[in-house]
Amino acid sequence: MTRLMSNASYLQNLLATGPNSSTLGPDWLQVRREEARQQWLRAGLPANTDEQWRFTDLSFLAETSFSTGCSAAARAAEARPTGLDGAELVLINGKFNAQASRLPPAPVRVAFLAQASGAELATFEKLLGAQARPAHHGMIALNTANMSDVVLVEVPGGVAVERPLSLIVHSVGTEPFATYPRILLKVGDNSSMTVVLNFTGPDDLTYLTNSVLETYVGAGSRVELVKIQREGTAALHIGSDYAHLAKDVRFQSLSLNQGGLLVRNNVTVTLAGPGCEATLNGLSMTAGRQHVDNHTMLDHAREHCESHELYKSLLAGRSSGTFTGKILVRPGSQKTDAKQTSKAVLLSGQASMNSQPQLEIYADDVKCTHGSTNGPLDEEQLFYLRARGLAYNQARAMLTGAFAADVLARVWQPEVRGTLEDLVVVELHRLEREEF
Amino acid sequence: MSILEIKDLRAGIAGREILRGVNLTIAPGEVHAIMGPNGSGKSTLAQVLAGRDTYAVTGGEVRLNGRDLLDLSPEERACEGLFLAFQYPVEIPGVSTSYFLKAALNAVRKYHGEPELDAMDFLKLMKQKMKLLDMDASFLSRAVNEGFSGGEKKRNEILQMAVLDPKLAILDETDSGLDIDALRIVAGGVNSLRGSDRGILVVTHYQRLLNYIVPDYVHVLRDGQIIKSGDKNLALELEARGYGWLEEPTAVH
Repeated sequence: MTRLMSNASYLQNLLATGPNSSTLGPDWLQVRREEARQQWLRAGLPANTDEQWRFTDLSFLAETSFSTGCSAAARAAEARPTGLDGAELVLINGKFNAQASRLPPAPVRVAFLAQASGAELATFEKLLGAQARPAHHGMIALNTANMSDVVLVEVPGGVAVERPLSLIVHSVGTEPFATYPRILLKVGDNSSMTVVLNFTGPDDLTYLTNSVLETYVGAGSRVELVKIQREGTAALHIGSDYAHLAKDVRFQSLSLNQGGLLVRNNVTVTLAGPGCEATLNGLSMTAGRQHVDNHTMLDHAREHCESHELYKSLLAGRSSGTFTGKILVRPGSQKTDAKQTSKAVLLSGQASMNSQPQLEIYADDVKCTHGSTNGPLDEEQLFYLRARGLAYNQARAMLTGAFAADVLARVWQPEVRGTLEDLVVVELHRLEREEF
Repeated sequence: MSILEIKDLRAGIAGREILRGVNLTIAPGEVHAIMGPNGSGKSTLAQVLAGRDTYAVTGGEVRLNGRDLLDLSPEERACEGLFLAFQYPVEIPGVSTSYFLKAALNAVRKYHGEPELDAMDFLKLMKQKMKLLDMDASFLSRAVNEGFSGGEKKRNEILQMAVLDPKLAILDETDSGLDIDALRIVAGGVNSLRGSDRGILVVTHYQRLLNYIVPDYVHVLRDGQIIKSGDKNLALELEARGYGWLEEPTAVH
């Protein structure tokens, strides 16, 4: 990773946007924070001369002076939840807000690093940063240096959690600010659950949400992660989500992108044991000058694993999108079956999309396929619908709705699926309004 | 008043004129067939009438029930009662047939200031119309034309026609890709929709379809003009002799 600017005042500026907590917490935490701080000062922002960040230019981060956000407690009322019933953990600028939250019933447990002790603290020590390493890129380093607290959601073994658990991650501030949510999710063996992460923040204000999630899934479990990214209109959102799958795990994620001005989703999944199946889905709906970069990495570390990726984008206005799908098949990971698909509909002549597969295969008995299609709405389909009496806009909405529908249909949890469908309908209207 | 009146219609694509002065009038209750060799402009005529903007209309006039058609968008033409049964019905993944047809029917009803049909009334109507075409109820939940056989696609077109109840139906090569059983079913569906206030224009390359949908008039289109008109016997003559013998009168001319 290369340093973006020789004048590195922004490095200090962004470091100063975290809480002044370097002397707090156990020794191991202080050491990790300090290492991350040093790593950040060395690496800085990922530059777009780095192949993995080629399509996403973060340089304006270096040109903006950031502060810490507002006092968390006072502004919890602004958070926009998803409307889902069930447990809801509200994080304001990375800090848990107990009053606004509904804790999940036992045996699901929620813990916070700032208050943890004993065995709980040991869990934090073991899991925090085991996947998300500061050396991966500067944004991980910056998050690790600056995170104000860490939330741990823990599901013991043998538990089927029926209700979805929502994490409402809300950013609040009145001048350019940065927040660093940090979340750990640990699911024991033979359990199942759906977790929804909902990101929101103020419109028309430059702010940075630099979020890191590390998920650990035990053998035989079934876990679904749904990320609803609807940050403010001028927000920069960088999410780095990691998942470690033990053995015979079924894991699925969906990244729904509606908000933000510049958005980067890093999704890294390690299929660490045999018999795992990972499905990564994405649906981005952008307009204006929005840019959404979905960057996925599937690490097939063991044999007999399957992965599926379906990323779809609807791009209006001058918006742009990137999908990078990296698949690493390690030596010995025989019978790997990896399928990757990226599809984009360009709703205006100024919108653009880049898709690039990156396959690294070190085993010989594997099946890896990838495909991508980018283009405008199908004229033949449009004409067919109009020839039956549907107005131009109605015909377009029917086609864009159908395009989005099959991604949403993949969501396992029915209430979450319904919530997403409602959100998408509203969003499709936004695109219709803004597409020219 | 005639349902369709085409006067000296000229249209083309990329500067090449394909329709070079077409004249045709269809009165209520009449079934007209347009036949012609490949490249004569049959499908272009069908598409131009439906409002396909890949073709540029360069001259002439078209009236549907007395109303200027060429100024209308494709959806307005459909709402005014024009229906094109496509030669190649397009597949629309992700949109169920019932959702699509309900939206189409309600768009037409709304255009005429009629109340939209609710789900129950719509389903009742669909069941009745699907019986006409020997269609299974599972059609409704399948995505529009997706994975349909050739015969299923054409039946779906006629189903749509039956539901939308147009004033003028244009059938573009509806017989292509149909085996004899499917052809009978499709033709039976069309025949049941013949009526005193509806006009039907059958565009076809082969006479075969006209054994089942017997036309009142047959026209031969060649090089973008109607060069001969007659009754159903003209179609039989074309079947027996091909299109070659028609060249002589044009040569004399």
